Amino acid sequence: MTRHSLSLLLRNEPGALARIVVLFSSRGVDVESLSLAPAERGDLSRLDVVVELQPGRTIVQLIKQLGRVVDVKSVVDRTHDEAIELGA
Amino acid sequence: MDTTGAGALIKALEDVGCEVIFGMPGGAILPAYDPLFDSKIRHVLVRHEQGAGHAAQGYAQATGRVGVCMATSGPGATNLVTPLADAYMDSVPIVAITGQVARSVIGTDAFQEADIRSITLPITKHSFQVHDPADIPRVIAEAFLLASTGRPGPVLVDLPKDVLATATTYTPPKLATPSRPVLSPVQIRNAAQLIGSSKRPVFYIGGGVIRSGAAQELHKLAEKTGIPVVTTLMARGAFPDSHPLHLGMPGMHGTVPAVAALQRADLLIALGTRFDDRVTGLLPEFAPHAAVIHADIDPAEISKNRKADVGIVGDCRDVMAALSAVITRKTDLTDWWNYLGGLRATYPLGYDWPADGMLAPQYVIERLSRLAGPEAIYTAGVGQHQMWAAQYVKYERPGSFINSGGAGTMGFAVPAAMGAQAGAPDRTVWAIDGDGCFQMTNQELATCAAEGIPIKVAIINNGNLGMVRQWQTLFYEGRYSNTRLGTHQRHPDFVKLADALGCVGLRCDSQSEVDGTILEAMAVHDRPVVVDFVVGQDAQVWPMVAAGTGNDEVMAARGIRPLFDEEE
Repeated sequence: MTRHSLSLLLRNEPGALARIVVLFSSRGVDVESLSLAPAERGDLSRLDVVVELQPGRTIVQLIKQLGRVVDVKSVVDRTHDEAIELGA
Repeated sequence: MDTTGAGALIKALEDVGCEVIFGMPGGAILPAYDPLFDSKIRHVLVRHEQGAGHAAQGYAQATGRVGVCMATSGPGATNLVTPLADAYMDSVPIVAITGQVARSVIGTDAFQEADIRSITLPITKHSFQVHDPADIPRVIAEAFLLASTGRPGPVLVDLPKDVLATATTYTPPKLATPSRPVLSPVQIRNAAQLIGSSKRPVFYIGGGVIRSGAAQELHKLAEKTGIPVVTTLMARGAFPDSHPLHLGMPGMHGTVPAVAALQRADLLIALGTRFDDRVTGLLPEFAPHAAVIHADIDPAEISKNRKADVGIVGDCRDVMAALSAVITRKTDLTDWWNYLGGLRATYPLGYDWPADGMLAPQYVIERLSRLAGPEAIYTAGVGQHQMWAAQYVKYERPGSFINSGGAGTMGFAVPAAMGAQAGAPDRTVWAIDGDGCFQMTNQELATCAAEGIPIKVAIINNGNLGMVRQWQTLFYEGRYSNTRLGTHQRHPDFVKLADALGCVGLRCDSQSEVDGTILEAMAVHDRPVVVDFVVGQDAQVWPMVAAGTGNDEVMAARGIRPLFDEEE
């Protein structure tokens, strides 16, 4: 299992969060933590999530799969940033 | 224009070019059926909502347009789940419109309430639930655009009953022009370089080539390069079967030369395909010596199952046009073709006649292909008959074979044929079906009879769930647990059933009658025809790569492993 931290911008549309969470469960992605908060722009929300991937699955693949969800505006891999913030 | 939500829905569907809806009314969707009564849009009243969904898929694949199905809330909507899953797996552009209970009672377990948006989250490209009738035209336009652009797929539009009933003003939707990904010139150049330096290249063609309408570009590029072509189950018809560069279908039941081409290649040029397990066999043993160029409109497919050396995000038509423009000369592939030509000569597709003297199913399909020809449209269910339809019908044009590839939905053939025939009334449409599949969805023949949709059905009746029986023969010591259907004992009698459904019913059980029966069926134009071809129960689909093994173990027939033995 590999651990990754992602930050997504979602459109504030009904069902947007559900679609992301279902994508995680149907692709076998383990969610360690998840938080949703309003983004600076009122029509967007920011979703921060820490996930664990099964062996053989890549974060690049997951980012692309998240990217094709219509209500996802952007996906950023913050795994490295988080390590810096923690001083690790 | 002053109207209601329902009026806006029908007007919007007209404005985006919808010409036919397959559906069934019910409580929550009822308001939409009133303006539909006066619309120029044809409505085909199905007998089960699953039939509406598969018909929309058949229509979409026969015409290249968006297929539309409509159902009421609750069970009407849940009956669309299988077609949505099927369309998602095979990237078929359909829009499903469902009624929903009134906004005020959503979430209260109201009568015929089902949260269809949540139920279909993992099997739709996108979904909408409309809460303001003024949004309906925009949502319909967006749904059509999403379904048909990028990687096509199913989109759900859920409409609460009171939203349909509320007064609104109709504003025509703005029809956005679809954008296509811009190709990376660097990746095109890298791909061209790999192609130029390869000695054993192969075009590995998937259903994306058909979806993008790129058959002509493929023809041009293949002839320009002289590189062998294999077409997957979803791509049958993308390249003519009669073309000398075509080695046929790869995969679990692919031809020996097509499987060998992938296994021995030094370069796979994978276009609009997704390295499905039915093609790759055991992934670590797939095409072990090959570099991979992978072009797909969906970036998430590239390097998903097999790492691409050159990944190109783009529409297959654009990709092939760009490659054609930069590739200037033919490379010498004499050795490669000598090898593949030898396999093609030694291991052609073939079959034995059943020992019990019954009809060979492959012969029936071979004759059907010959007599109905490449201008017909063929649909199939799932199982042995589907594989024989992929192997023994000779396809010459895209859109002529419509089947359920990714999802493997039994019962797909009849409703898909209905949709294809509605979209292509001038073509002959043959549903090649199994006796198991046929019993799942044959109620739509009543729809076809009532609506004047004269499809033809060839039931390859082997009395069993044939593919499962084949696996029981090969892997379960012939213990035939629950695969006998009793259809050879006429449970049911398909000829009588056809008659009862308002169709012509014919039966054929001997070789000498096959051509005559097919011609008799083809002479009927005023109603559907069902032919019960009673065939032997022990016929098997070969070649075969057993599940969980590598493609090098492909068996031309039981126990004969051409590639495995080659390495000895």
